[in-house]
Amino acid sequence: MNHLDAVNQISEYLENQLGLATQAEMEAHFTTCAECREMAEGVREVMELCQAAEPLQPSPWLISKIIQATTGQRQPSWWERLLGSIRPVLQPRVVYGISMAVFSISFILHAANVNIRSLTLRDLNPGTWAYRANSKGHLLVARAEKYYYDLRVVYEIQNRLRELRNDQDEPKPETPKKASPGGAQGRSRNGSTELAEIPGFNRFSTRMSAADVLSMWSKRSLPR
Amino acid sequence: MEQDLELVKRCLAGENSAWEALLRAHTSKVYNLCYRFTGSSTHAEDLTQEVFIKIYQTLKSFDAAQGAFTTWLSRITRNHLVDHYRRTKKDRVTDSIEDKVERVEERPSASLDPLAELESREVRELLQAALALLSPDMREAVILRDLQELDYQEITQVLGVPEGTVKSRINRGRLELARIIKRMKGMKG
Repeated sequence: MNHLDAVNQISEYLENQLGLATQAEMEAHFTTCAECREMAEGVREVMELCQAAEPLQPSPWLISKIIQATTGQRQPSWWERLLGSIRPVLQPRVVYGISMAVFSISFILHAANVNIRSLTLRDLNPGTWAYRANSKGHLLVARAEKYYYDLRVVYEIQNRLRELRNDQDEPKPETPKKASPGGAQGRSRNGSTELAEIPGFNRFSTRMSAADVLSMWSKRSLPR
Repeated sequence: MEQDLELVKRCLAGENSAWEALLRAHTSKVYNLCYRFTGSSTHAEDLTQEVFIKIYQTLKSFDAAQGAFTTWLSRITRNHLVDHYRRTKKDRVTDSIEDKVERVEERPSASLDPLAELESREVRELLQAALALLSPDMREAVILRDLQELDYQEITQVLGVPEGTVKSRINRGRLELARIIKRMKGMKG
């Protein structure tokens, strides 16, 4: 076997596809030809390399793409397509952000006293929004202030009434009293202490209503 | 083989599920052939899709008497790749071996072992870079024989050339690959 024949049959030799006689001739040639031996080794290495190469995996969606392109099956509905397009957006942080934005907008609209169901051109003016929000803010502050002062008034009344009651319960020092015709000096008809003798009775009466107290307080007659 | 024939019959009867089963059975094979030929996963996927569209349109012309479905599929894929090769001839530039080595893409494989994955990737990259430097005739012959594992008779049918030519191309292709790989390994050091 000459060198050229040996080179041409290296692959078949390595695949054991030659007859026994030719195989033996090849082996005999390899013992004398270093170049052929080296080439056979190289081809063997290539074949081993190809065997070691794992099959590659196509993208998982390739089959779906082909099916769509051929049978037209699995055509997603508009809803599925829409859902598919917004799926990346539906993440917790995005949802949280959207919720906060909606809350903020609704808060601003409420503060600006804008009714979305009956929008007017004036409602679209940011200046109007600012004005209304400002008014509402002031109203809110005024209400809070009024509530605070109302509480204070009630407290004052309660305090004053407590003082009156305390004054009433205190034992009075014995003072000489003029004899009265009925013998019932310092006593009212129902037997209670003479109210006129209670300190400060001239200013406050136990029969004073809350309205009277308020009226007095508004005239600064009560200590503030 | 019998299973493929049955699936083809059901496809021709209008059963979409049979077409899907046929796709699942052969997509990987066609994709690998395309990838080995082009060296690009994107191109390989596009070409795979085009091949299957062609298969779907010409399924009626498949004749089981002339050979197995896989052989017919490989022939159509090969013809499509040759068309693609001719079509894109102008766009291609001659790359050096170094460029080829750098250009090889990363693709996930089934292996989960990092070492095995690394080794497999190196083999893949080296082989792909070397294949890209072969002439198309030799490349397709080697791919069909060593990577698609078709026998000589099937390759003869796919390529439409005599068996002697097939053997010659495979042998010359392997010798050339061995030389390229040796040079590459020498360059990598």
